[in-house]
Amino acid sequence: MTNQGMPLAMARPGELVTVIGVRAGRGLQRRLSDMGLTPGIQIRVMNSQMSGPVIIDLRGSRVAVGRGVAQKVLVKEG
Amino acid sequence: MSREEILQAKDRSIAHLKRIFGDEAETVIAEERYGFISGLLKDVLKKPAIERLTLSDNIDKVVVNRWLGIPLFLAIMYGVFQFVFTLSAPFMDWIDTFFGWLGGYTSGVSPDWLGSLLADGIIGGLGSVLIFIPPIFLLFIAIAILEDCGYMARAAFVMDRVMHKVGLHGRSFIPMILGFGCNIPGIMACRTIENPKDRLTTILINPFMSCGARLPIFVLLAGAFFTANQGLVVFSMYIIGIIVAIIMALVLRKSILKGPSGHFVMELPPYRLPTITGVLVHMWERGSLFLRKAGTIIFGVVVLVWLLSSLPWGVEYASAESWIGQIGSFIAPIFAPAGFGQWQAAVSLIFGFLAKEVVVGTMGAIFAAEGGLLGGAIASQLGWTPLIAFAFMVFCLLYVPCVAAIGAIRGETNSWKWAGFAALYTTVVAWIVATLIFQIGRLFMS
Amino acid sequence: MFKKEITIALAGNPNSGKTTVFNNLTGARQHVGNWPGVTVERKEGSCRYQEYHIKVVDLPGVYSLTAYSPDEVIARNFIVDEKPDAVVDIVDASNMERNLYLAVQILEMGVPLIIALNMMDMAESRRYRIDFNALAQEIGVPVIPMVANRNRGTDELLKEIVNVFEGKSAKKKIKLYYGSELEEHINELEELISHDEELSRQFSPRWLAIKLIEQDKEVLEKIGDKL
Repeated sequence: MTNQGMPLAMARPGELVTVIGVRAGRGLQRRLSDMGLTPGIQIRVMNSQMSGPVIIDLRGSRVAVGRGVAQKVLVKEG
Repeated sequence: MSREEILQAKDRSIAHLKRIFGDEAETVIAEERYGFISGLLKDVLKKPAIERLTLSDNIDKVVVNRWLGIPLFLAIMYGVFQFVFTLSAPFMDWIDTFFGWLGGYTSGVSPDWLGSLLADGIIGGLGSVLIFIPPIFLLFIAIAILEDCGYMARAAFVMDRVMHKVGLHGRSFIPMILGFGCNIPGIMACRTIENPKDRLTTILINPFMSCGARLPIFVLLAGAFFTANQGLVVFSMYIIGIIVAIIMALVLRKSILKGPSGHFVMELPPYRLPTITGVLVHMWERGSLFLRKAGTIIFGVVVLVWLLSSLPWGVEYASAESWIGQIGSFIAPIFAPAGFGQWQAAVSLIFGFLAKEVVVGTMGAIFAAEGGLLGGAIASQLGWTPLIAFAFMVFCLLYVPCVAAIGAIRGETNSWKWAGFAALYTTVVAWIVATLIFQIGRLFMS
Repeated sequence: MFKKEITIALAGNPNSGKTTVFNNLTGARQHVGNWPGVTVERKEGSCRYQEYHIKVVDLPGVYSLTAYSPDEVIARNFIVDEKPDAVVDIVDASNMERNLYLAVQILEMGVPLIIALNMMDMAESRRYRIDFNALAQEIGVPVIPMVANRNRGTDELLKEIVNVFEGKSAKKKIKLYYGSELEEHINELEELISHDEELSRQFSPRWLAIKLIEQDKEVLEKIGDKL
């Protein structure tokens, strides 16, 4: 997995980002891909505050992920 | 041959694919599936070019806002509370009056023992529980509305930050809210929590969420001993339950259930207007269980209590010399440090294991009264002070959940060990807290 | 008095309206679990349609049929072990991308599938245009549009369930192509599995092969068990 890109946790509200990968165990990876978060998918950050969960628009539905999870999801802008 | 070979071939494949893709095969499989779906939808689904922010998104700007989220949640919880109690009060009065009349009417039935069974046992016992049908059903309606409109998911989101600090997370939240209606659906809702330690912790602290069945105890005693502040006192029970749950979650997570917390990933469905049918169906699903319990367990226990109060033959009804008095007197001393070391209290608590409503039901059968009269009877005959009543309420709040809930714990954890542990530790915690309240309270009083 | 017995399972994402569909189908004739203490594994109900008696089993709401959570295992095991006559997947029309992920997995299990495209009113309010005939064509299974909380589409669904049961439903066998590298390994495993009588009787060999490559915990346990 390449290391370009930033954690989802650092994306700003309203931003459109593309998922590069998930730096976590298979359990979390699978959980996220079940919900539709796979490499290459574009998501929009709906709500992200200093701490606490992040809400994203994922394939048309709103999904909330904890900050810990948001730290592990790598995205790039656009 | 076969199985071994298959597994080895599988291992080879996975290793090979990992080299080629640089990723786990299952991730690629997921991507392919979504790719297939995208291709499918290109021909099938046309979305408008720019999707407006939906109404849900706009509402969420406020609801999950960092500063407004929690206060809004507390306000809604308080609103629910008010809704339930203000609306149910007139209905409860009617039912109270009706049973009062019914009790007076049937006590004149002969033979004497039948009259006693009907008036003292059944009406006194069962009646004291059925009075609570209005608030319990209203509570289930409120929970159904909150769930169906989609707010529950937001509440879990908002509370995640707080829950995180005590070693739980947002997904523990909904089971806990359900526990306020009844611990059993609360415990079963823990299935959606994947992390085993998170799940077990949430299951074990669920009994501290004051279930609907405990309401009769609180309303009765708060009404009798804290008339001016009854609403506040009942509300405080819920708060105490939450606080103890949080403390115990911390304790559990730092001791026997140590480990990393699970990941919080949750869908927030769009808000929608609950339908009346939907709400009523949900209300009935849970409320009917309460009625069924009343018709069976509670009825059975109440008759049993009447029996134990009337034997040995000829003894004064529900006196210390009756069988129930003797059983209670034997156990009662344990509760003395908490202020309620009387046999009537002890017996009620013991039967409360079968169903929490039975605590009031037992008292009702013993004192042959319900509603306002029962409260008065307890005050005068047991010599309780408001402090003692409060300690007793806290004990009822915290001690072992009903047998059905223990059964649910056993079912969800698949182990008698955890079910037994739950029964034991809740009772120990209840005893400690009630005793502390009574003893410390006494110091302040004198 | 002799009614034909059909058993169907309701599957779908949480929040897809599955419970509403269940209520529409079964009305008052449902049986919700056993109390006290016994784990509620499933909600069952039944309904009568023409000369058929239809048993409806409500599976837990899941996003996928992996073995990641107990709910998914329960849902999956019901389909594998009890082989219902059809699985009705409730798909949220305003959220099709993610909802179809489950449908695709059910398809791979080889069990007859009907897609109930629910919440059509939501999709409409978002100005989506859905060609459900095209969807049915491309995915190879019947697609029934519904608005469950207004009880719309229930009759059509019942009709289709009967059609599927009687084998009158036109359907295509769709195979999801995973790309040449994955397909190579899937086919190899599929070969080996089809030689194992017991396994290929219980599971579709291709489905099992895919699960193995996904390193599905439960499947591995089941196979390893018999070693």
